[in-house]
Amino acid sequence: MFRGDAAHSGQYASGAPRQFHRVKWKFPTGDRVVSSPVWHDKVLYFGGDDGNVYAVNAETGHQLWKRTTGGPVPATPAVAEGRVYVGSYDGKFYALDAQTGATLWKFDTGGERRFEAKGLHGIQPRNQTIADPFDVFLSSPVVAQGGVYFGSGDGNLYALDAATGELRWKFQTGDVVHASPAYADGALYFGSWDSYLYALDAATGHERWRFKSGEDPLIHNQVGFQSSPAVVNGVVYTGCRDSNLYAIDARTGKEKWRFSTGDSWVISSPAVSGGKVFFATSDSSLYLVVDADTGKLVLQQQGKAYVFSSPSVAGDVVLLGVLNGTLEARDLASGALLWEFQTDASRRNLGWVLTSERKFNSALLYHSSWREGPAIAADRQFSVGSIFSSPLVVAGVVYFGSTDGNLYAIE
Amino acid sequence: MNAALGRANALLVPLGFFVTLCHAAPQAQGRWEGEVQLPGAPMKLIVDLAQDETSTWAGSAIVPGLGVKGAALGDIVVTDSGVAFALAGALHASADGPPRVKAHLIDADSMAGDFSQAGNTAALTLNRTGPAQVELAPRSTAVSHEFEGAWSGSFDFDGHPRQVTLTLINRAQQGASAEFVIVGKRTTQVPVDLVVQDKNFLKIESHQNGISFEGQWRAQAGEIQGSVQMGALEVPLVLRRSVATTDRKS
Repeated sequence: MFRGDAAHSGQYASGAPRQFHRVKWKFPTGDRVVSSPVWHDKVLYFGGDDGNVYAVNAETGHQLWKRTTGGPVPATPAVAEGRVYVGSYDGKFYALDAQTGATLWKFDTGGERRFEAKGLHGIQPRNQTIADPFDVFLSSPVVAQGGVYFGSGDGNLYALDAATGELRWKFQTGDVVHASPAYADGALYFGSWDSYLYALDAATGHERWRFKSGEDPLIHNQVGFQSSPAVVNGVVYTGCRDSNLYAIDARTGKEKWRFSTGDSWVISSPAVSGGKVFFATSDSSLYLVVDADTGKLVLQQQGKAYVFSSPSVAGDVVLLGVLNGTLEARDLASGALLWEFQTDASRRNLGWVLTSERKFNSALLYHSSWREGPAIAADRQFSVGSIFSSPLVVAGVVYFGSTDGNLYAIE
Repeated sequence: MNAALGRANALLVPLGFFVTLCHAAPQAQGRWEGEVQLPGAPMKLIVDLAQDETSTWAGSAIVPGLGVKGAALGDIVVTDSGVAFALAGALHASADGPPRVKAHLIDADSMAGDFSQAGNTAALTLNRTGPAQVELAPRSTAVSHEFEGAWSGSFDFDGHPRQVTLTLINRAQQGASAEFVIVGKRTTQVPVDLVVQDKNFLKIESHQNGISFEGQWRAQAGEIQGSVQMGALEVPLVLRRSVATTDRKS
């Protein structure tokens, strides 16, 4: 499932290559691939913004089946007990047969929507409600205790019976829930765009605690959880759009520490390994490692472009997708760049979306805050094969999706 | 307030000022229109080039669709065989400086060359389409004694107070300059590039930071009532004489 396990540690059993050798294969789809692939029994499962859920042979890159939903699927499936679980922008949540893709059951939520607000990010006109072009993910499900749990644009966290799709309970928050719940020790942890991080009892849906993060009533830019938490050793780690990485006591909901990035979103979901927390920032394009106990900075590397993808720890390598269409492999200990892979779309750089140094060429992108200008600019920005997807590493092969429509296998 | 300042700026931007000045117009003079061959997305470019009465070259550019109208050209070099210039006021990539054009004359009415921006370079063609319509950048004016000196005030931004100090000083030839400092979580020295007084209205602008202040002198209250504009956001700001200035004058 998303981030490798129910607690979202972002740590993978396999080591990743320390050198780039080749593209093993690439699997083309009909639209962006924002979803992250998951692996089960030599098969990769992922969603496409073309509305399909795919099963692909991990060795050959050949399609085994696809199941068409009524909307884009920028969520990462969970696979358990022979079923593939995933939500779609059609507002439905699906359980598919992992072998055939046949629909076992589907569940109607209250409907999907992106985060929206009046005057969002300073976009004009200020009294117009604007859908957030950077709300790119749907909540990815987690499976535990015979239940499947996921967030929805209708503001609920849902708990369904994993076998039948029957509603066990739902928990209403104040806004969109597109972060993915993490499960640990009978509890679910997730953030909402209402600015709260929640802990719920997985069996009953009763609230254990809620933690308040920052707000931004003026332009709603620095508010909400898009990052999904990781729960390790009784601590919940999560990024937040208020530009902090938080460490919260999983039992009490009390803040242990916070790491401020200044004014830069932390969309990336943190990986936790070896007593360190690995994450990256959006606008400031930083790759950061902090001490898991204290929040003290361990190392910092200046990247080239925004990161929404979540780092994956695989052996002594950390893999990170970048929105400029580059996959980075960094040394676990030093953070030094070992190798990078640039998608074809990033190399073509149509319309000079990128500078020659592969930074975003903002002067040619965000020249207007009027009408659909910012949304069009964001779409152009993501046209360079942006990697929102979080890399999956199995048997030394790295799998990830790109907005160029491909799922890549690299070794 | 905006309308009054708009009129003031219009007076400072005399379109077509250069057109009739030169009897023997050099080959480069005129309006030039063409395309930059950005990969997959050609970009239209309109350039006006002219000489003033001292034979100094001036120019401005329009980039339709990218919000650029009348951007000043800088570093203009004109030779018998071609031109080179920078789009000093537009499409500026911070690490790489302004976009630059280097083109050679193919014949009397066409040029070809390169357009460079953000470290990328693409081919450019330009064709003469008419006389130059150079748009002069607005210039700072002097300010009257009511405005000159140090001011302070505060405004609320997103629930957080911001302290403002503004100091206006007249310079002999360049009009007034302004020191504009905003103190919140951090201290920001706003680089002001335009100060314009029109009767009892004052406008200061920082194109680099996208921040401006417009205010009206209220003689009875002895203050400038106005607002700070930051992108789409506008917050009221009243400036009063700084204590330090009052002390100095007393």
